[in-house]
Amino acid sequence: MIDVTVAVNGSVRRAAVPPETTLLTLLRDNFQLTGTKLGCDVGDCGACTVIVDGMAVNACLMLAAQTDGRQVLTIEGLATKDKLHPLQKVFEESGALQCGFCGPGMLLSAKALLDENPEPSVYEIRDALAGNLCRCTGYSKIVEAVQDAARMRQTPQAHEAHQLEMHGQDHG
Amino acid sequence: MKPFEYVAARDSQHAVALLAEYGSGAKVLAGGTDLLADLKAAQHSPRVMVDISQAADLKGISLTDDGLRLGALVTHTEIMRSSVIRDYCPALIEAAHTIGAVQTRNLGTIGGNLVTCVPSMDSGPTLLALDAQITVVDLGGQRRMPLSALFVGPRKTSLADGQLLVDIVIPKASVGKPAAFLKFGLRKGQALALVNAAASLWVDGERTTFVAPRIALGAVAPTVIRAPKAEAFLAGLTISPEAMDKAGRIAASEAKPISDFRASADYRRDLIAVLVKRALATAYERSTAQKEHVQ
Amino acid sequence: MADETKTLTRERIALGDLLRHADDKQKLPAAVPPKTVPVEPLVPQPGQQTLAVGQRVTRPDSRNHGLGQTKYIDDLTLPGMLYAKIKRAGIASARIVRIDTSAAEAVPGVMAVITASDIPVNSFGPTFQDQPVLVGDIVRHAGDGVAAVAAVTEQIAAEAVEKIVIEFEPLPAVFDPLEAMQEHAYKIHAPNSNIYASKVIRKGDVEKGFAQSDRIFEGQFTTQMVEHVPLEPHAAIADWDANDRLTVWATIGRITLARADLARTLTLPMSRVRLIGTIVGGNFGGKNEISQEPALALLSKKAGRPVKGVFTRSDEFISTTTRHPFVMNYKTGVTKDGRILARTVRLVLDGGAYCSWSATTLGKACILASGPYNIENLISEAFVVYTNKTMTGAMRGFGAPQVCFAYESQMDDIAKALGIDPIEIRLRNAFGEGAISPTGQSLHSVVVKESLLTAAERFGWEERP
Repeated sequence: MIDVTVAVNGSVRRAAVPPETTLLTLLRDNFQLTGTKLGCDVGDCGACTVIVDGMAVNACLMLAAQTDGRQVLTIEGLATKDKLHPLQKVFEESGALQCGFCGPGMLLSAKALLDENPEPSVYEIRDALAGNLCRCTGYSKIVEAVQDAARMRQTPQAHEAHQLEMHGQDHG
Repeated sequence: MKPFEYVAARDSQHAVALLAEYGSGAKVLAGGTDLLADLKAAQHSPRVMVDISQAADLKGISLTDDGLRLGALVTHTEIMRSSVIRDYCPALIEAAHTIGAVQTRNLGTIGGNLVTCVPSMDSGPTLLALDAQITVVDLGGQRRMPLSALFVGPRKTSLADGQLLVDIVIPKASVGKPAAFLKFGLRKGQALALVNAAASLWVDGERTTFVAPRIALGAVAPTVIRAPKAEAFLAGLTISPEAMDKAGRIAASEAKPISDFRASADYRRDLIAVLVKRALATAYERSTAQKEHVQ
Repeated sequence: MADETKTLTRERIALGDLLRHADDKQKLPAAVPPKTVPVEPLVPQPGQQTLAVGQRVTRPDSRNHGLGQTKYIDDLTLPGMLYAKIKRAGIASARIVRIDTSAAEAVPGVMAVITASDIPVNSFGPTFQDQPVLVGDIVRHAGDGVAAVAAVTEQIAAEAVEKIVIEFEPLPAVFDPLEAMQEHAYKIHAPNSNIYASKVIRKGDVEKGFAQSDRIFEGQFTTQMVEHVPLEPHAAIADWDANDRLTVWATIGRITLARADLARTLTLPMSRVRLIGTIVGGNFGGKNEISQEPALALLSKKAGRPVKGVFTRSDEFISTTTRHPFVMNYKTGVTKDGRILARTVRLVLDGGAYCSWSATTLGKACILASGPYNIENLISEAFVVYTNKTMTGAMRGFGAPQVCFAYESQMDDIAKALGIDPIEIRLRNAFGEGAISPTGQSLHSVVVKESLLTAAERFGWEERP
């Protein structure tokens, strides 16, 4: 067994796991953080995307042992108890989440992008999300949501105006 | 995956010692983007996984007296962000960008890409076209050799058990050499190359003659290959679109593409001709911004 | 060996006090209960646009999706739960001579192994019950399940599955539906013909229509097999209570059908079967019938513990239903100004190893095969044929996309040959209000022409280069 000590969403977590355990299994089974999903287990679909030391990675392609001493952000760490992350807010409002299974991975890839590039072009958004597959939405609303989140982080007023233009009065 | 033991190497020396200890029972883990995916389907796991991903002396991009050095653990993302590479070899950035997606580029390493040695590897052609050298280390010491000596066949390198790829060096004579890389896949992201190609060339003072042209092709032979006949055709020739076009067709005849479910051999040959022509054209365009070639 | 792992010199996070993971310390956002969505009856009149069209509707479940709090089946665990893996045949057509599960049963951590002989009624299917839960004798496609194992971890179950020894006697196989239709072809469900369903629609007199036509166009159009690839693989959990009542959590869309199939295969009264259709990570038609659920239930009964099974992505491709490949022959007679006078259509559906939703697909495809066009003289005939390939079943469109590709492609061919604008030729033939469908149905709220014209305007059809 390997002892792994890793900071997940700001809290130090510890587990003793067989060496072949992936980060994905560590998160889902050992830490009961099931927001990160298993879609293919070989790094093709991106449903297992998490952020390790600031980098978006496929949790299924990292060994738990490789995360010892590092910082991991999962979808559960994006919101606080009272407040959604801007990306979560706009994804929810824009119809960017249908079945929701790609959502956690997609949101974290989008966060990694916006943290580095606050005003991405459509091309840059598509490039950043190329490793996250979605079978439901056809991607358009996801790209729009990321643009809107970027706008929201720049100027919250611009976001409000955009929402009003797109959706009219709040029906919810 | 099936069970294995795990040990982490501090640096390349430690890694070599571990590899010597475990012999053929060891597998080297760097980025893991190929290795772990393969192991999930594999019949057997290695006895020991030797994790070199934290070995600091295998990282880093720098200009040295020898040339432009990339540590084996340099990731594709690091290549894309390197101002040194942007200044002296932007074709490497083009190549790195075509690999997988952000997640795989953040973990995947240039050394891993070379050592996994699939014929369609995206890092190989540009490096071959720049006459890259590699450093290999084992208990007996370290050796420098041409990159081409690494590639033996599909998924087969010349590395023996106990040997470790340490770095890749673009020799001084090729630093700043105008080059270009093109890949054709069935998608723009997360796609294997049906064909990929790199070309590099110097030009004479008047910019009218090909000097030291190099053409490298991937996914169309058991390993990444050069196209020596096309290179010989171009060397000393007056630069023209027709020359580039003909070189493309000669290169296509030098390749041995196969037909598979992704494409036919004929289609691949057509692609080679087009990609080589375009790579030569782009390399030529870059020759106007040719950096002072480091003497 | 243990010492070697402590050679890492990078900084470790200071441990401090290990936190107790109380909910507020973890700052895990509370799952928000669903909003009450007001329900107002809207009764639109035919031809009238409802108020709902064009409105933005928020999905209440998006809140939990975005938080990562939605519980899909693989996120659920029950105390003592075991993990199941299924052994796939790996050969397209064969007779099973012998199965030896003893080596699998001996693996430490394996709690139950089952084969076909453990299944009370080993057949299911939405139309014909031609599919076994696990194959006992004849393997009909490489993804056919042959045995199932439940173990304390997924890794052990996967290891045990590899230790199951099966002796196969290879049988002839047929992979092409046109070949499979021939008299002499290998019979996949002997003694029955490989053509397992057919449909014919006849209207008017096609011979007369062709005779009156100025031009006749013939073409063959084919489409390929497509896999749904839902991001969430097929998954289910089976558990029994002490009163011999079965509970199954499954990704299945058709709950009542699944419950009936479970009752039937396990010879239980339906009153003892509780099926919970959970929130699903994509269905698209591929999760509309049972697959591993009866096997999981039997493993659970044998082991005395709940059993979860999650398909690997490889299982998804070889062992779940796919979209039917079609081979379509269209013969269309037109006047010189592009009006269709007669059409014959012959559809051959590649029906895979088992029927699944093929009969329904066949019906829809046949009815829709002639397109939204007024055709007085028509014969549409369709056949679905067994092949030794992955089952073909329901997938969005249910036969409509394939025939649409064919009739619209041919329409473009005809327009080009006659020198008529592709939109214009469609307007000349398209259904209008009160049009009669191939099966004699009078159609209302028909807006084919209006849609085409609106779309053409929005796409800038006139301005195209």
